[in-house]
Amino acid sequence: MAAAALRPAILRRIRLFPSPSLPLAAAAAASHPHALARWLARPMSSHDAHLSREEVVDRVLDVLKSHPKVDPAKVNPEAHFEKDLGLDSLDTVEVVMAIEEEFKLEIPDLEADKIDSLPLAIEYVANHPMAG
Amino acid sequence: MASRPKLSGIQKQALALYRGFLRTARLKAPEERRRIESVVSAEFRGNARDVDRRNFVYIEYLLRRGKRQLEQLRNPDVTGLATLEAKK
Repeated sequence: MAAAALRPAILRRIRLFPSPSLPLAAAAAASHPHALARWLARPMSSHDAHLSREEVVDRVLDVLKSHPKVDPAKVNPEAHFEKDLGLDSLDTVEVVMAIEEEFKLEIPDLEADKIDSLPLAIEYVANHPMAG
Repeated sequence: MASRPKLSGIQKQALALYRGFLRTARLKAPEERRRIESVVSAEFRGNARDVDRRNFVYIEYLLRRGKRQLEQLRNPDVTGLATLEAKK
């Protein structure tokens, strides 16, 4: 009963707000028509947007190559951080953190401590559903 | 150094602390972040080089001190490194 009485009041209130956001959405759709189409085609799905393995490999390699202590020529998808790239444990922390940042992830300490090579880093990112 | 199979507990603590500092630095303004990173990195590397790895008492002390400093740095109002730079 009380709810029924409140309803018109609530509706009146709500109606005040939608108009300003609509032109914005329309403008966004006009400038990025494909983005909107893509979003409509698979609403709320992060799965379809999952990265391809090649992309993961490329971007992980790039992160490694841009670390100041790494010789880019030595970077390959099989390399071990310490044995092949000459990184120490502090460098390894930096590299793993840089990979987190690149893929917008947060790797828990327990997992991060295990990642000591490119194959493990690539594996972790490729299997992570939220990697972007 | 290169092929030590597993990290010791105390090493893991030190690396977790380092990670904590780097994570916290990310939340600061870019310029501040770079300064924090360079100071923290220099501190960890200096200690890794200079401190005897068997001197557990001193390493434990450094870990406790580091945790306290990280605690302070986590405060969003703290941007500076004055407390970090003052030591040594």
